[in-house]
Amino acid sequence: MLQSLAGSSCVRLVEQHRSAWCFALLVLGYLLYLVFGAVVFSSVELPYEDLLRQELGKLKQRFLEEHACLSEQQLEQFLMRVLEASNYGVSVLSNASGNWNWDFTSSLFFASTVLSTTGYGHTVPLSDGGKAFCIIYSVIGIPFTLLFLTAVVQRIIVYVTRRPVLYFHIRWGFSKQVVAIIHAVVLGFITVSCFFLIPAAIFSVLEDDWNFLESFYFCFISLSTIGLGDYVPGEGYNQKFRELYKIGITCYLLMGLIAMLVVLETFCELHELKKFRKLFYVKKDKEEDQVHIMEHDQLSFSSISDQAASMKDDQKANEPFVNSQSPTSNDSSLNN
Amino acid sequence: MCSGRLQTALLVAGYFVYLLVGAAVFQALERTAEKQEKMAAAQMKEAFLQNFTQLTVPEMEQFMKNLIEAIQNGVYPVGNESQFEESNWDFSNSFFFAGTVVSTIGYGTLHPKTVGGQIFCVFFALFGIPLNIVFLHRVGKMLSLLCKKLGKFLYEKGMRKKKIKFLTLLFFLATGILVFLCLPSVFFQITEGWSYSEGIYFAFITLSTIGFGDYVVGKQSDRKYFSYYRVLVAIWILFGLAWIALLFNLLTTVLEDTEKIIVKDLQQIGKVSKDNVGSQQRRCWPVQFVPEEELLPPRAGGDAQKMESLTADSEHTKN
Repeated sequence: MLQSLAGSSCVRLVEQHRSAWCFALLVLGYLLYLVFGAVVFSSVELPYEDLLRQELGKLKQRFLEEHACLSEQQLEQFLMRVLEASNYGVSVLSNASGNWNWDFTSSLFFASTVLSTTGYGHTVPLSDGGKAFCIIYSVIGIPFTLLFLTAVVQRIIVYVTRRPVLYFHIRWGFSKQVVAIIHAVVLGFITVSCFFLIPAAIFSVLEDDWNFLESFYFCFISLSTIGLGDYVPGEGYNQKFRELYKIGITCYLLMGLIAMLVVLETFCELHELKKFRKLFYVKKDKEEDQVHIMEHDQLSFSSISDQAASMKDDQKANEPFVNSQSPTSNDSSLNN
Repeated sequence: MCSGRLQTALLVAGYFVYLLVGAAVFQALERTAEKQEKMAAAQMKEAFLQNFTQLTVPEMEQFMKNLIEAIQNGVYPVGNESQFEESNWDFSNSFFFAGTVVSTIGYGTLHPKTVGGQIFCVFFALFGIPLNIVFLHRVGKMLSLLCKKLGKFLYEKGMRKKKIKFLTLLFFLATGILVFLCLPSVFFQITEGWSYSEGIYFAFITLSTIGFGDYVVGKQSDRKYFSYYRVLVAIWILFGLAWIALLFNLLTTVLEDTEKIIVKDLQQIGKVSKDNVGSQQRRCWPVQFVPEEELLPPRAGGDAQKMESLTADSEHTKN
């Protein structure tokens, strides 16, 4: 989802040099980054996993020895069935039987994780009907979410970024860039504390076995929509006020996502101030107007979006169909 | 004056209604299945305990708890000893994990358990996700270039613009669905043993980056995968992500247009003053307060005028 919302202003910066050379560099850099991540994760996690495997092997051995009537095969069969159910979120332990995964508030939480593409996986649709509905629901719902987020962020950013920056620029007389930078940093700081640090503290209190780092890790993984699902709040045994809690988490995730996008957009607009003038001098005339229209279309992906925009005045322009950003594509501009 | 407010209010309300409706439908569909699953699991547990009466319930529970925790840590205790040689955190699996983090799919079948791993994961994602966005944007460009070439080709053949647009869109949708959803599902039928519908479900959940993790490629311990299987799947995911991002944006603009029509109709009904209905701007305040990046240079004739011209066109094409 985040790739769909990539601010065209943000991405355009990287696109200044559009040669194949740069693309190859990008691909190489990306692969190297992945390899680097793989190496670090492997070296950090492998020893711990090794320990866990040995411990588990011993546990199983001991259990079988203590209960000699139990054959290994029977145990394996039993375990496979239990673990399969556990994968789907159904716990066979006696004190966990109270938690339902598909009551209304949990379904609401599930629906919101699907639409934000977080997708924890702690509950998954079990039935075929549920899976089919999930696909159809997302095909309509994810664009809906994109639209919703774009609209809300556009409105918020006016009150949170543009007007304050203008106000301080006029009042204090500093240059726009300086004010913008200070404002962006302050905004980032406030957002991090409001949507990461404070909720992390709250979660570490409300959840039994989460410490602060784990709660912070949860907040980050959720708000970036990665959603690994290793930590999911509200799933503990005997969670009090579970329904209210789930609704609260749903609201937190939605607001957090909006806040992240606002900050992202603010930071992207920052560079924009500097590159703004450059855009005028380097490109051709037609490109400027095209650029301006896309700035109003801030949070949309460039290629297909401005093709859609060009659909609106197809009688005036007589250019080829898909309007990409390259200056070579247009015969005539988007206005007259 | 601000029809944009009406638009936004409608959008927000509509979104929450959509969430509530979804929740209700999911509940209706899944509740019974979950009940059955729970009953089956409980019955099986009962039967097992009856068979082996030396086992006490607390012992059993403790054992199962430990096992379940191990599963959640990615260690699968079923199977023979050869499992101990393979690891979840060998290089190719870690690479796959890094890829799922950076693309925000996040299956969760594998996740860092150590404190160091979690902290590194946060920083890795912080820089990796923007990198991924830029990268996928490029890939998406390459994909849309194909459509553009087709459009140009058809244009030179002398087709009308509207027809070209429609055909190119159809081409984009059809080939995308075929290449990124249908064909891989057939492929997964062979390699993973899933049914066709499960393959499509997996393909969609992965490419939309939801990534539940209930179906993951290459995770079944009792199957043999050929050596470049994971690499092939990774390439498919990469291009599929770019395609689906383009698709979602297309659908977003369609929804946006629908929303505008609805708002327009509402306004006609409510007799609210028509003021920049199709305007991309959803804000209204005195001109002197508009930050300069929102104003066009004078040469272009001013922002409002441009929007007017676009609006006029949209109304024209819709009528």
